[in-house]
Amino acid sequence: MRAAVVVVAALALTASGAVAHTQSDGYVELTAAGAEVTGRVDLAARDLELAIDLDDGDGALRWREVAAAAPRLHAYLRDHLALRVAAGPCPLVLGALGTVPRADGAHLAIALRATCPGPADPLTVDYRALFAVDAQHRGLIRFDSGAGATVAVARGAPVTLVGGARPAVRRFVVEGVWHIWRGFDHVCFLIALLLPGVFVRRGRRLAPAPTLGGVVRDVLAVVTAFTLAHSITLVVATMGWVRLAPGVVEPAIALSVAAAAANNLTRTVDARWAVAFALGLLHGFGFSGVLTDLGLPGATLAPALFGFNLGVELGQLAIVLAFLPLAFLVRRTRSYRVGMWLASAAMVVIALDWAVTRLAA
Amino acid sequence: MLVPLPRGRGRQRWVLALGALGLAGALIAAKVAPGATRGRAAPTTIPTADAVVAEVPPLAAAARTARIRAAAGDVDAAIAIARAAIDRARADGDPRYLGQAQAALARWWDEPAPPPPLLLLRATIRQALHDFAGARVDLDRLLADHPDDAQARLTRAVVAQVGDDRATAAADCAAVTRLAGELWGAACAAPLAAAAGAGPAARARLATAIRGGRDATAAAWATTALGELDRQLGDDGAAELALRTALAAAPDDVYTLAALADLLLDAGRPAEALTLVGDRAADALALRRAIALHRLAAPGAAAARAALAARFAAARARGDDLHLRERARFELEVLGDARAAVQSATAGWAIQREAADARILLDAALAARDRAAAAPVLAWMRRAAIDDVQLTRRRAAVEALP
Repeated sequence: MRAAVVVVAALALTASGAVAHTQSDGYVELTAAGAEVTGRVDLAARDLELAIDLDDGDGALRWREVAAAAPRLHAYLRDHLALRVAAGPCPLVLGALGTVPRADGAHLAIALRATCPGPADPLTVDYRALFAVDAQHRGLIRFDSGAGATVAVARGAPVTLVGGARPAVRRFVVEGVWHIWRGFDHVCFLIALLLPGVFVRRGRRLAPAPTLGGVVRDVLAVVTAFTLAHSITLVVATMGWVRLAPGVVEPAIALSVAAAAANNLTRTVDARWAVAFALGLLHGFGFSGVLTDLGLPGATLAPALFGFNLGVELGQLAIVLAFLPLAFLVRRTRSYRVGMWLASAAMVVIALDWAVTRLAA
Repeated sequence: MLVPLPRGRGRQRWVLALGALGLAGALIAAKVAPGATRGRAAPTTIPTADAVVAEVPPLAAAARTARIRAAAGDVDAAIAIARAAIDRARADGDPRYLGQAQAALARWWDEPAPPPPLLLLRATIRQALHDFAGARVDLDRLLADHPDDAQARLTRAVVAQVGDDRATAAADCAAVTRLAGELWGAACAAPLAAAAGAGPAARARLATAIRGGRDATAAAWATTALGELDRQLGDDGAAELALRTALAAAPDDVYTLAALADLLLDAGRPAEALTLVGDRAADALALRRAIALHRLAAPGAAAARAALAARFAAARARGDDLHLRERARFELEVLGDARAAVQSATAGWAIQREAADARILLDAALAARDRAAAAPVLAWMRRAAIDDVQLTRRRAAVEALP
């Protein structure tokens, strides 16, 4: 009797103070685009060890052991996770394994993909993993259908998640503006093209443009060509008519920045609007990648595309409006020329570095 | 290649310098954070074959078989697993084992009247998971049929105290004295006595019982209770001695370590508190570590804060309220966010009413200069002449607020 008392009495006193949080959580992150669902499930390594016995018994779970258990991991997930929409179930295709650090230690991540028989929003998630080994387990589900993410906590019963109900054109406009401002490669490209805009060619020399009107016309030509080019490729890439691997697109965009900047140093091509058009085609593929990352609502693809492109143009316009008056004001100074030369040289170097980094990644 | 131009006018120079500076800044930023707008979930990595992915508590083959038997309805197997898991939860301060204990009892978890041993284990798990109402129902049912179950009496005494039901707690502690001996009874009654203005008498009783006790585990536990009582009575020297004595018998006891760390932190000895908790993983100790590092402005402070913030964020995402007391302390003492601490401590007070919960709510209210937030604790303190200098000191400060 006494010995048994010890255990519970000690717990009784300590439990309310010492024990807290770090309970078992599983993470389900899903993105829906039309009828397609992609995502990932992260489950704690130590919980999976209890459920399907991954470790060889030495207490140190090695990647080799995880990799060897991949079929069992997949089978376990298939038995404990189901997605469905009103029209029927969405068969799961389970993919590569990885690890990811979480607040409560290492998780094993399993990539997944599913094709639903209808639009995947709303989506019902039937998550039942790990409850049998830990009754306090919770599945934290994050669902993004392109119009904003929703979250839900699974406690053992199916949960139905509804993404954004209305086409969030405004959100895509904002994303477009942000993308152009934060994506330094696009800003650099634009600046590189705009820098010589306040000059006109006089024989072998560059002279300050005599009137603002001429400068505006030049800038307008460059910006219009860039807009036209990237809009075309944004549409064809997002609609899936032309596909380029991101591994090609991202380094190519970096090279386009280097080329545009180098042109300021060598002055090989005078018609910068042509440079803007030809290389701008590449940037549209990059925009499309971002748009796809955001998760496209299948039914509202056109408004999303329109909104995102509008945002890109607005962001671009803001840069032009900030740049143009200032550049026009100081176009006669020597410092502007030196600055243009230095900035172009710097952009060549940095953009080449981007290209190498992106190729390596 | 550059064309000579008429020299620029002086007043335009600074505009240019500014522009060049801005451009350089943008380029440097671009170099530091190329393409910072990608996905939201942390990226996964694929380790090398021999890399250790995680330390996993080994599970013997016998334990696996026992789990299968428990799932199939074997009561004895279920009890054994749940007991072992509860013990582990206590030893490691790791609540995951509580979920595992509950899972072992899954077949009986929703039954209104499972066999008495299961009822007691269920109550214990519920209490540890802060389902005090559920634990109380189970214990009331068990004690109605088995009034002489010492464990159930002791557990209900704690649950009743948390729920501020002092009469039941006192009756249960008296029963514990009768059923399990003076040492258990004295330790059971000590916090109750302090909350009723009978601290000094309770301390004398507890000290005598410890001297006369023979059960080492009970003595260690009672010595921790004595240390806490000493703190409430304002004798930190005696409290430190008692807590260190208890630790000598049970060096890894999370509760005692946390109590001593608090004493050291309050005494302005954060370096000693840091040494004491070491790198132990239990959340209660991680909190004290973060506070100590913060006070010392030590290099690891930011990392400790980030790790703890991540744990609290994960807990909040799953929507649990297990950790409100600790969250409030974290918000107040590490993040310096008094308003958030008032909210957490107030929510905690609604669930749990122990001296530590009162203390953090008063601290938060003081920091936020929010006298109204402290009102529930002040009302609770008025109900009895509480022997707790930690609380009376804070009450005076709160009452001095405008």
